Amino acid sequence: MPMYGDLGNKLVQHAKRTQNLSALPAYQTELVRSVTREVRDLDRDVASMLEPFQGSFDPSENQATACTLLVNHLSMRRNKRCLLAYHRTRTDKLEELVWKGADLIDLSGQGMADGGMNGNGNGEGVSSGGGGSGGGVMSNLSPQEEDYVRQYGDLLAAYKGQWTDIDLTGSLEPPRDLFIDVRVLKDAGEIQTEYGAINLTKNSQFYVRQGDVERLIAQGYLQKLG
Amino acid sequence: MSYYDIDAILTDAEKIPCTFQLDVPDLGYLDNNPTHALKTGTKIALPLWLAEMLAIANTGGGDEDGGKSFINFDLPAALSNDVVQALKADPRAVPLRDQSAHFYGLATRMMDLSDERELGDVLRKSFVTRASEIALHARKGAGGSGHHKGDDKGAGSNLGVGASGEEFLRGLDEWERRLFRKAHDGTKAGKEWMEGVKRH
Amino acid sequence: MDIDDILREVDPAHHAVAREKQDLQDLTRAWIAERSAPELLHWPSGGLFERINANIKRQIEKVEEMTGDMDPRTNFALIVIQTELERYKYLVRSYLRARIAKIDRHTLHYLSTDELRSRLSEMELAYATRHQALLHNHYLSSFLSSFPPALQNLNDTAGNISMIDPPDLESAVFIRLLRDTLVEGRGVDADGAMDGKESDIVILRWSDAKPLVEEGSAELV
Repeated sequence: MPMYGDLGNKLVQHAKRTQNLSALPAYQTELVRSVTREVRDLDRDVASMLEPFQGSFDPSENQATACTLLVNHLSMRRNKRCLLAYHRTRTDKLEELVWKGADLIDLSGQGMADGGMNGNGNGEGVSSGGGGSGGGVMSNLSPQEEDYVRQYGDLLAAYKGQWTDIDLTGSLEPPRDLFIDVRVLKDAGEIQTEYGAINLTKNSQFYVRQGDVERLIAQGYLQKLG
Repeated sequence: MSYYDIDAILTDAEKIPCTFQLDVPDLGYLDNNPTHALKTGTKIALPLWLAEMLAIANTGGGDEDGGKSFINFDLPAALSNDVVQALKADPRAVPLRDQSAHFYGLATRMMDLSDERELGDVLRKSFVTRASEIALHARKGAGGSGHHKGDDKGAGSNLGVGASGEEFLRGLDEWERRLFRKAHDGTKAGKEWMEGVKRH
Repeated sequence: MDIDDILREVDPAHHAVAREKQDLQDLTRAWIAERSAPELLHWPSGGLFERINANIKRQIEKVEEMTGDMDPRTNFALIVIQTELERYKYLVRSYLRARIAKIDRHTLHYLSTDELRSRLSEMELAYATRHQALLHNHYLSSFLSSFPPALQNLNDTAGNISMIDPPDLESAVFIRLLRDTLVEGRGVDADGAMDGKESDIVILRWSDAKPLVEEGSAELV
């Protein structure tokens, strides 16, 4: 017979698996709902158990009731912890992806947006969506998570904006070579560099300034050679 | 221990044998019997998150020496005498994972709850012995063993990465797995760095 | 002190260079320390980052100016400046990211007292506050709002585990001694102490190393 907290534990097992995956698995809508409902049920039980005492409950007089109340209380707290940890594991992952420059369209599993990536490789990271999402049939994100990605993207953009010259989301590898060889893995349109425009068509190779193409490497458009 | 830590939460779900010290009409479901009261003396395996607080909480029923707990508890099978004896004989021969995926986490929590000095000593020695074995495998796995043949002469740890090595690694608990991953990544990064230095 | 030193002292250009050099050194130190320490360290005071930012801006402008020039000598200088600029930017970026990572992991902890809040820069404080608010909102809209009110908090410290999660101050760090000093460390079974000599490198718990670092007897490596 299942006991309180079992469903919460399932959520945490999902979270554990999520930690080891590169992509975000589907949001467990039903499970989240059930665990939340369990908390509400437990709370109602507690209220009805306490009702006859009219606010003068003495645990030492009613040990059995005190024990049940404690079990209910602990079960609620346990469920809360499981729910929070599950959601936190996912937002951690989402934030990581936002830092890497993924946007909602990538995250919702609709495949890549078509059309070349214009811009200078310092691309604006997260698009603010502009109402374009929401229709993600296959989305692994809950609607709340989609909102979160948008809002966190704005927050990060605001923080980054205070450090415009640094490119805060740039590579955390210490710079070694100013110029690197890259191969184009998928068409990325035209980019502007200090040395003029380069047209990044698939399978072509270039010798470019690393700082100009870091974001494109992170997003998988370019591969660093050598 | 962190509130949001997934492994801590899973450790909290490990069950330990408990004995109820009072009748509780509404908790029959814990013993698969929702229509009946839970009787004094009923033995049930409860998860740590429940057992711990029930054991600590005082019923306030001041009949004996200032009250008693709702439950008493015992060490779980993972920490039974058999396991402890096996660990004493050779820590490397015990697949801890079969006992519990969060073996050390569980043991630490149990030792917080009750004074188990001898158990603590055995576990500490086990961890140290196994950790050096883990480091050895991690180094081999990361391809860093070539230059260090001499290191392998330590107390009988000539396990190669062969079948027995795989068996050992399979038996690691979560904490040890993390250690293995760190040792592996560290060795690999160190090796790459050395090669990088040579190149430049 | 000879006449050259005196002349150098009164030369304003020299002062500027010394300042830049000092700033770079301070930045490098702060970067190494921040990456090694398990907890967030103080944001440097005295306008260090304002100067560094201005400096980077200046260098970028210089690069832009020089790019038009086709003289090979300029070109070589350009590459040197750009390489240096990339390194500079990397230091700042890596430093800021190390801090943000710590703030993200223990947001509520760093927002919980004035002393802790004072370690953050103004921008970091704004970021952390907003980030926490976003998370709380996300939890509320996903499930928390249908919880009983008493269970909706994210900062409960009652019960057997606190929801405010501090960094582990007992984790190990390496320090280099900057002067001869007594080093005391706590162990599992027994505590230890040693007479450390300048430039010794020691591994010990951060909680034991912290006083030495703060009084300037040691630096993190």
